[in-house]
Amino acid sequence: MIEETSPHVGTVPPKQLNTMTNKKIGEALAGYLFLTPALLIFLVFLVIPVIVALYLSFTDWNGITPLRNKDAYTTVGSDNYQALLTEPGRRQTKFFIAVKNTVYYVLGVVPTQTLIALILAVIVNQRWLKARGTFRTIAYLPSITSSVVISIVFLWLFSSGGLVNGFIGTVYPDYKAINWTDESTGVFHWVLKQFGVTRADLGPWASEKHYGVRTWDWISGPSVTMLMIMILNTWTTIGTMMVIFLAALQNIPSFVYEAAQIDGANAWQTFRKVTIPLLRPTTFFAVTLGLIGCFQVFDQVYIIGGGDATLTVAVLVHRNAFGTGSNMGLATATAMILFAIIFVFTVIQRRFFGGERANW
Amino acid sequence: MTTITGTPAITTKHNAGVKKVLHIIAPTVGYTVMIIFALIQLLPFIFTISNSFKCLPAIQSFPQSLIPVPPSAVCEKKIMDEGRERTSVMPASDTSKRLTFNPTLDGYKEIFDQKLPRWVFNTAFVSLTVMFLRLLFDSLAGYALARLNFPGNRVIFFFVLSLLMIPGIVLLLPRFILLKEMGLINSYPALILPFSASLFGVFLMKQFFESIPKELEEAAMVDGAGRLTIFFRLVLPISTPALTALAIFSFQGMWNEFLGVLLLVSTRSDLWTLPLGLSFLRGQFGEQLRWHAFLAGSVITTLPLAVIFFMFQRYFVEGVSYTGLKG
Amino acid sequence: MKRSLVLVLVLTLTLAVFARTPSSHAQDKVTIQLMGWSSSDAENAALQSMVDAFEEANPNIAVDLQLVPEFDTTLQAAFASGDAPNVFYVDSSKLPDLVDAGVIAAGDDQIVDQDDIYPSLLDVFTIDDTLYCAPKDFSTLTLQYNKDLFDAAGVDYPTSDWTWDDLAAAAEALTEGDVVGLVVPAELPRWLPFLYQAGGSILSEDGTEVTFDSEETAAALDFYVGLVTDGFAAPPSAIDSGWGGEALGKQRAAMAMEGNWIIGAMEENYPDVNYGIAELPAGPAGKATMAFTVCYGVAADNDHPEESWALANFLTGKDGALMVAEAGFGVMPARLSAADTWLQVHGEDFQPFVTGADYSHRWVLPIGFGDFTDTFNNDLKEAMAGNLTTEDIIADSVDVANEILGQ
Repeated sequence: MIEETSPHVGTVPPKQLNTMTNKKIGEALAGYLFLTPALLIFLVFLVIPVIVALYLSFTDWNGITPLRNKDAYTTVGSDNYQALLTEPGRRQTKFFIAVKNTVYYVLGVVPTQTLIALILAVIVNQRWLKARGTFRTIAYLPSITSSVVISIVFLWLFSSGGLVNGFIGTVYPDYKAINWTDESTGVFHWVLKQFGVTRADLGPWASEKHYGVRTWDWISGPSVTMLMIMILNTWTTIGTMMVIFLAALQNIPSFVYEAAQIDGANAWQTFRKVTIPLLRPTTFFAVTLGLIGCFQVFDQVYIIGGGDATLTVAVLVHRNAFGTGSNMGLATATAMILFAIIFVFTVIQRRFFGGERANW
Repeated sequence: MTTITGTPAITTKHNAGVKKVLHIIAPTVGYTVMIIFALIQLLPFIFTISNSFKCLPAIQSFPQSLIPVPPSAVCEKKIMDEGRERTSVMPASDTSKRLTFNPTLDGYKEIFDQKLPRWVFNTAFVSLTVMFLRLLFDSLAGYALARLNFPGNRVIFFFVLSLLMIPGIVLLLPRFILLKEMGLINSYPALILPFSASLFGVFLMKQFFESIPKELEEAAMVDGAGRLTIFFRLVLPISTPALTALAIFSFQGMWNEFLGVLLLVSTRSDLWTLPLGLSFLRGQFGEQLRWHAFLAGSVITTLPLAVIFFMFQRYFVEGVSYTGLKG
Repeated sequence: MKRSLVLVLVLTLTLAVFARTPSSHAQDKVTIQLMGWSSSDAENAALQSMVDAFEEANPNIAVDLQLVPEFDTTLQAAFASGDAPNVFYVDSSKLPDLVDAGVIAAGDDQIVDQDDIYPSLLDVFTIDDTLYCAPKDFSTLTLQYNKDLFDAAGVDYPTSDWTWDDLAAAAEALTEGDVVGLVVPAELPRWLPFLYQAGGSILSEDGTEVTFDSEETAAALDFYVGLVTDGFAAPPSAIDSGWGGEALGKQRAAMAMEGNWIIGAMEENYPDVNYGIAELPAGPAGKATMAFTVCYGVAADNDHPEESWALANFLTGKDGALMVAEAGFGVMPARLSAADTWLQVHGEDFQPFVTGADYSHRWVLPIGFGDFTDTFNNDLKEAMAGNLTTEDIIADSVDVANEILGQ
């Protein structure tokens, strides 16, 4: 559309070249200047704690003895990482149970919330829709509530005599109330059971342990209680995601649509061929944030969950850091591995959504 | 049932029929989806609000009810107990049989007996300050990363993105010790400084600035405007939707921040924010949660945010974005 | 934009004004920080009045009472940063961690009138022959039963002679419709009385050997889990409750096994429920219950150790114990001399709580055994759902216990 404005260097007369470099230096200075306040805050309140945490992951600090005491900790090399990743034992088992739960959680929540949020944003962006403001507000309401409050309210709605079971019971009279708040059966296990498949049917390989977790348990899917937390989190995040998509939709200049209309595209074609591609950077943004947020899910699980069926990596970090028998070295090591996992997933998803437009 | 205010101009014969059908189907489907969705989104709130006006036994009676059946009934009765008068509550089994709705302000009274006004002030003050600082710092940084060429640009962005991936819980203790060494624990700056720029905000603003066409700034550059002028006079004014989004995210994020602020002021109850206060209430009543007070607190925590969001959401649509870019 | 910049400036200035922390006025006055968690309003008020009484008796000491949310995390952070409160609550299960970290002062020579404290409670806070702190109060587990439901089902009230069979028979008779006979939390400390009643144990006396793999363990598990799988008992969440007291109050369970905290909760929330209290039933090896207790720890790194101990001793001493007893919010004072006062305030019906102190076991496991508790709780829950067997629970728990001891 627009011609490349910066001319080829070879064709520029010397004097102009000089001002170009000055301009570049000026731009670089402006760049650093603009970045300074934010970077300074990140440096002090994030980078320093991260470095401390990274260092602690190679120690056996209990998290209680004052850190400035000489004998507060000893460095133990990669012991913590080995206990979590390679050494069979309770640490490894717990860690991989947490990883399994968290990955199921992420794979369930991220696509669902992104898709629903996109659909809603498109609807709310339509000119024919009346009371758009009200709809937007309603959709966003769940994002406003504090996670502590809404988790407790959900606990109550999903209790076995609660509103949700009551509603399902009205629709399906045969429904036997599920205790959503405390049901550790895996969803996939439950489905398999409907087809009469149990661990015993699958032969000995199902009981073999890999990284401390049985094959059968690896394929459990999220537990029923986890599913409830997934519904809760989707419910709360849709509003935020919708707002992000909405803002991006607003950012698409109307002449783009006018051009599509002139070319004879119908609404669906416009959506497929114009809107979706233009939303790509935003989708990348929404999915990246969704991934990071979901991998770190803590508050809701901390309040609702209990036991292995809902153990996520972030909750394991908290338990190791502040629970009985606290072990800050182990907790920080767990967190660092979680960081690595998130990193890998982000890089993978960048291949799907990032494309050329994600310039990093 | 719905009036259609679609675009009147039909350009080609081929599309005319399809368009007509679409103009009827799309709103019908759209409204249906939105209304169902709105109900799902609203239900827990309606439930919370209606129950916050019930007394404890009515809240706890099963099966649970939406307004107003079964109702809070007469929650209290005065009984004489060994000569002294005391207030007794109805057993849950009794309340579920009554069919009158009899709201009570018990929960609100109980929560106002706490330091609630102070907590509301703290939360509002901290959230507002953090919001303004983030609007400034995040958009500056986001703009630099999106638009300005300088060595290390990509590295810095990558760095910011990576920091976002560090689980926050693990930073609680190091950050606490750091702030303690700085002498900031139990003060407003402890609640504000660490949060005054956000990785999320920088990421958000960068993505937005990237989607703005470059032509406008280039025109201004030709006119000899400096970077700072361009940013404040040109870029920010056309970024209202993004800034509104950032403002709302920041305000709401800080309003509800719990773990991040927990340690920083936990020993000074007059510096607590609402989530800390609510969590204290939860602990205060042990395993036996005082539902009515808790729900009343939830309503008080949520309502101001809902009103603020409703007031500002129109900027997403009717903001001044790109008026100068068309044609 | 300019306007908002000005606003930011104004806010920052306001902030600077607010940020100034009030300086202490009197220099010769020593301030002691006392950190705890918040209980019921009544209990908080009682503690405040005790602190007031202490300040009145010691004009040179001021007490800064800090009741905080998320107590464990807050206290741990305070220790880690090297700026701990002078005096703080210690739950018995947390003591080994604090002792291991070297942050809690030994109290052998400081705690007054030790012979007046229940020996079983002193034992809780003694590690390697060192007594660390004096108990603030304690609770024992007893059996609470709904008299009306018992009458309706024609079942005799529980007595101190009850055995496991009586409990099971009553639970069966009382289970009807929405109501289960007994509410049983799927938690180690709540099941432990049954292990001890069966004559079992987790570890050998010296703590070096795992003794969990035994017939006694199997018997206790079979009984506890069997009640659930037979349908005569249920965990709280299965009957719309957060804990046993709620289930009893809502009349969804005819019996519960809770501690003293249920007294205040029932009075406040379900005053019309007509319930009685009995001792836990006896098992094959006799009676046993659990004692849960909290003490006032004194920081090892302490600028004012003398004043700190003065406060701890005042709160846990004979006078303090009487004040706890008279406050009447359920928990029992840890001193023998105050037991009668407590009974007078609450009534003779509550005798089983006091009696329990004679045969109670302590709720404290060696450092690192949090993982054991965790594994056991998980398996117990699964077993109640019918997914695991008694053998599975024992095998998994013993594996973890051996691994912890082996380190």
